[in-house]
Amino acid sequence: MRANPGFVAAVAVIVCLVSWLVFAGVRDSMVYYITVDELFSQTPEIYGDKVRVSGTVVSGSITNEIDDSLRFTMAAGGGTLDVEYDGVIPDIFADGVEAVVEGELSADNVFRADLLLAKCPTKYESEDSLYERKKG
Amino acid sequence: MSDIGSVAVLLSFFVTVYGLLASSAAAKTGGEALARSARNAVLSVSFLLAVAVCCLLYELVTLDFSIKYVALNTSTDLAVIYRVTALWAGQSGSLLLWSFILSLYASFAVVRSGKRGGDPYVTAVLCAVAAFFLFLISYVEKPFEPLGAAESEGRGLNPILQNGYMAIHPLTLYVGYVGITVPFAFGIGALLGGELGGRWIRNSRKYALFSWMFLSAGLLLGARWAYLELGWGGYWAWDPVENAAFMPWLTATAFLHSVMIQERKEMLKKWNLVLLIITFFLSIFGTFITRTGIVSSVHSFARSDIGPPFVVFMAFVLVFSFALLAWRSKDLESREGFESALSRESAFLFNNLLFLAAAFAVFLGTIFPILSEALTGKKILVGPPYFNAVGVPIGLVLILLMGVGPLVSWGKATPRNLRKSFLFPALVAAAVLAALIVSGMRDVVAVVTFSICGFVASTVFLEYFKGIRVRSARGENPVSAFFSLVSRNRRRYGGYIVHLGVVLLVVGITASSVFVTQREVVLDKGDSFSLGGYELVFRGVRRFSNDAKDGVSAELSVLRNGKSVSTMYPEKNIYKYEGNREINQETEVALRSTFRDDLYLILSEVGDGGKVNVRAFLNPMVNWIWAGGLVIVFGAAVTMWPGGRRKRGFADG
Repeated sequence: MRANPGFVAAVAVIVCLVSWLVFAGVRDSMVYYITVDELFSQTPEIYGDKVRVSGTVVSGSITNEIDDSLRFTMAAGGGTLDVEYDGVIPDIFADGVEAVVEGELSADNVFRADLLLAKCPTKYESEDSLYERKKG
Repeated sequence: MSDIGSVAVLLSFFVTVYGLLASSAAAKTGGEALARSARNAVLSVSFLLAVAVCCLLYELVTLDFSIKYVALNTSTDLAVIYRVTALWAGQSGSLLLWSFILSLYASFAVVRSGKRGGDPYVTAVLCAVAAFFLFLISYVEKPFEPLGAAESEGRGLNPILQNGYMAIHPLTLYVGYVGITVPFAFGIGALLGGELGGRWIRNSRKYALFSWMFLSAGLLLGARWAYLELGWGGYWAWDPVENAAFMPWLTATAFLHSVMIQERKEMLKKWNLVLLIITFFLSIFGTFITRTGIVSSVHSFARSDIGPPFVVFMAFVLVFSFALLAWRSKDLESREGFESALSRESAFLFNNLLFLAAAFAVFLGTIFPILSEALTGKKILVGPPYFNAVGVPIGLVLILLMGVGPLVSWGKATPRNLRKSFLFPALVAAAVLAALIVSGMRDVVAVVTFSICGFVASTVFLEYFKGIRVRSARGENPVSAFFSLVSRNRRRYGGYIVHLGVVLLVVGITASSVFVTQREVVLDKGDSFSLGGYELVFRGVRRFSNDAKDGVSAELSVLRNGKSVSTMYPEKNIYKYEGNREINQETEVALRSTFRDDLYLILSEVGDGGKVNVRAFLNPMVNWIWAGGLVIVFGAAVTMWPGGRRKRGFADG
């Protein structure tokens, strides 16, 4: 195929622009995904940085007063984290589920989240103990 | 029934392997009897899988809890319709359905290619892909696997999967995903057999378009499900599972456009094969993401150990296909080159590059956590800001190209004919721009997007107008001229309808993402609040109960300009049934939808003394998205509709 110079230049421009978009997009929006204990191993440098943290919701820790933020405690690897969140609460969020929050840790060691996701930990189809939870 | 089912699954695997061997042998020896036999193998596999699907459906509907799949996905309180849809609620059922749909496509393809069994290479590729999925359901994830001891009750279906859209959208997506296999098989079959003329691409075009239509519909149905059921006020979150379906859509869209260049100019043969291979890879990758939960997702409801076989299969597909392509590379040289950067074909090529770039960017963003963990040991995510930052500029240029493409001529466009054809659409775009700025819109992205949409819409109308004018000049009346125009050039004018649908969709997406307003309020009985032009008055809480759930709803009167327009009841339900315990609560949003805006209410919390916490969204023009989707599907159907004028040399070989 004969190459047309104007054409090659246009393609090169597109490739460069898209690469730059991807690069800038990653640079500006990347968020570290860590667990609760990893978070505390990085204080105080991590205060104020946007991070995504996962952990298990500690049973009995959820308080959700009607005119106040949702508050709960997450635990992983021996560390616990107090979380404060305003926003839509997923239906599967409950005691004992695996929660993922995105936001920042402030110097008072309370995590202010602007995103809350919850995963249902028990629906592993390949697990043999399917009925144990119910029976036990 | 379960014995019949599992035997049918196992048999279908062996028959498929036989089909693979027979068609390979037929390809090698040119033996017609073997090719016919392979064809019959394909047909019998779809029969066997139909039997297996019926068996599983029977077990699901009759709630045979001695089968693991049934016990996991249904319960005695589940309505019959959701027992049926439980077929694709879990892992092995989904894979069985995947295989069944593939076998139907394969049967259709071999039947259409004639009594002699068609191209044995194509049959072989179809069998190879089917064999992989049938291997999974025969040995790894068996749909009819018995449970150790029979249970009296099942685990039940996740309540957020009990929704009409959930019932149809996975099915729609599968039909789209799986359909990609057929054009892929035609392409690889052509490479294997060395018949690299125009035939394979003509044969595969309709399958590609058909799959594309279902992928588009499936994506939008999924978005609508998320909007109604996940209740965060949005319809698209760049979630891995959404991306998984979006990526093959992007590359399939690119393919549908570049096919036209190959047909017209015998160019881009290699490129088209590359696009097909990538699209097929992405459709398998999408199934992999969705079914293995390797990237955590709100849409992913199952995980299991089918990951390793999938990775091996995907690696094999890539290595085999590209090696084959490299081997045939010499036979795929184009005779012609691009005459000019200003031509229809180069507009198509830019379109292709951008679609591929978008797919790449989405792919990178989706696997970023896996990639970064592998490279640096740290898991790094890129969220919606990344996808928006990359996607919006690429999307805008693509939409602009959608308007430019039809205006520039094939070969080489001259400045004079460009000026002539661009004048009217450019004026419309300028008028839209001026009107928006005068009316006070200051959001740059929105103003630019709407202006470009005005440009594109006017090119579509212009094309129709030109066509109709030519015909009416010959004495036809405009209405019949319109219909004969479309029916005689279905591909072209159907394509324009799709473009118009895309414009509607883009307008809706832009308006609803840029101009969304939301409020969170705590209300006592009688309290009111305003949102946009609406006033909402809280009338109190209602509690109700039925066999399946205890519900509580808040009654809100909606007023506009002092006049009552509606009463809305956002709900919170607690499911009674034990099996759903982990997900026993379900928030049901209340939605009042018009073409101007959607009023979207979430009952977040019900306190003591009848106080409620309500989150309210005003999402402008969301209905335009769904309307755009309908137009897109309609346009694609027009394009595919059989009959009409066959262009020279376009008949099936």
